[in-house]
Amino acid sequence: MKKLLFADDEESIRLLYKEEFEELGYEVLLASDGQEALAMFYLHAPDLLVIDIKMPGMDGIELLQRVREQSRQVPVILCTAYGEYRQNLETWASDEYVVKSANLDGLIKRIERLLHT
Amino acid sequence: MPELRKDPIIDRWVIISTERSKRPSDLLVEKTRTRVGFCPLCPGNEDKTPNEVFAVRDGNTPPDTPGWKLRVVPNKFPALITTGDLNKRTEGIYDRMNGLGAHEIIIETPDHYATATTMTVDDFKNIMIAWRQRILAYRQDSRFRYTALFKNYGESAGATLEHPHSQLIALPVVPKRALEEIDGAQAYHSHRDRCVFCDIIDQELTDTRRIAAENSRFLAFEPFASRFPFETCVIPKTHTSSFEDADEAMIDALADIMNTVLKKINTALNSPPYNCMLHSSPFNTDIGPFYHWHIEITPRLTRVAGFEWGTGFYINPTPPEQAAQYLREAQIG
Repeated sequence: MKKLLFADDEESIRLLYKEEFEELGYEVLLASDGQEALAMFYLHAPDLLVIDIKMPGMDGIELLQRVREQSRQVPVILCTAYGEYRQNLETWASDEYVVKSANLDGLIKRIERLLHT
Repeated sequence: MPELRKDPIIDRWVIISTERSKRPSDLLVEKTRTRVGFCPLCPGNEDKTPNEVFAVRDGNTPPDTPGWKLRVVPNKFPALITTGDLNKRTEGIYDRMNGLGAHEIIIETPDHYATATTMTVDDFKNIMIAWRQRILAYRQDSRFRYTALFKNYGESAGATLEHPHSQLIALPVVPKRALEEIDGAQAYHSHRDRCVFCDIIDQELTDTRRIAAENSRFLAFEPFASRFPFETCVIPKTHTSSFEDADEAMIDALADIMNTVLKKINTALNSPPYNCMLHSSPFNTDIGPFYHWHIEITPRLTRVAGFEWGTGFYINPTPPEQAAQYLREAQIG
């Protein structure tokens, strides 16, 4: 079973991820901030990470940097409600950039594609 | 007494503070944040960027592998798309069109920590060659009318990665700033039958007080009505409207003057954040007789706030004559 780690400070979003992706057959790990996500990344070696950019404390960009120091290959999807980060070249260390939506179809497709390439 | 000065091209007024003028050491230079970590632009990480569309490489190294001196890649997460047409439409008084455009990143050197101070004339030449090549590529595409080419150096100038890079955005419309300059130059030309930029060059070469540097083909000077301290204009001495038409000799001379000017700015101002913007003719126009391409360099030493946003006026605490003197006297290796 593939392990997905979701880092998002909004509880309702985390619960949505858990419900949706467990139903799709993934093992779902949830973190509410960057620091917790980094610890879970070291501990559980997830197959893919979905990271919210705006989080208190360690933000998603810093978490991405820390993850890349350990692994160049693990797929990372950055998720944000804001389009402004398209100008931020630090996001290029990720594999995908998606705008947050309650409809997870786009995110599901990207996860499936990244896990099968 | 402070002075109000008017820009002769776009009629913009600027307040020049002549009494309490600021020396380089008085100006706020925000230091660039250094985030140590994974850099998607560094050699070895080519798989984290889209495929290169242009590169200067050693020998026969394959594309998208190490061995490059400069790479150009499309934006990985573009805000505009390159496919499709404009589909212009209106909604009452409002105009819309599809978000057509292209955004490329010019990775100027493999050295993550390079700055204008450490870069060589050859590095600058590679950058100018890349700018020219990419503009020419978009000039052939009839959907595009203009390419904005710019560099943000330092966090407060808008750079999000310290790895040296510049950016190109090809647009289906001509930006307002460019149109203001073109309209001003056209009005001047219609009155005097001369290029306003050529007249400025003649006057600056005669006056000499605002000259920061020059070589056989280029002049670098502080504009009479500079908006910002150490704002510098780099301009070819002979009339030419489109940067991308520069021949090899012009590219060599441009690399030389850019190398000199940016090193002087770094020396005089302790490597400030800055923006560098190419002003060149829109595509497929007949503005050749009155428009004159140039490069604008604006160190970010003052803040733009309510007064500037609300009025279009700027307050410059360092007279351009003094800024030019500091730059002329700055010793570079």
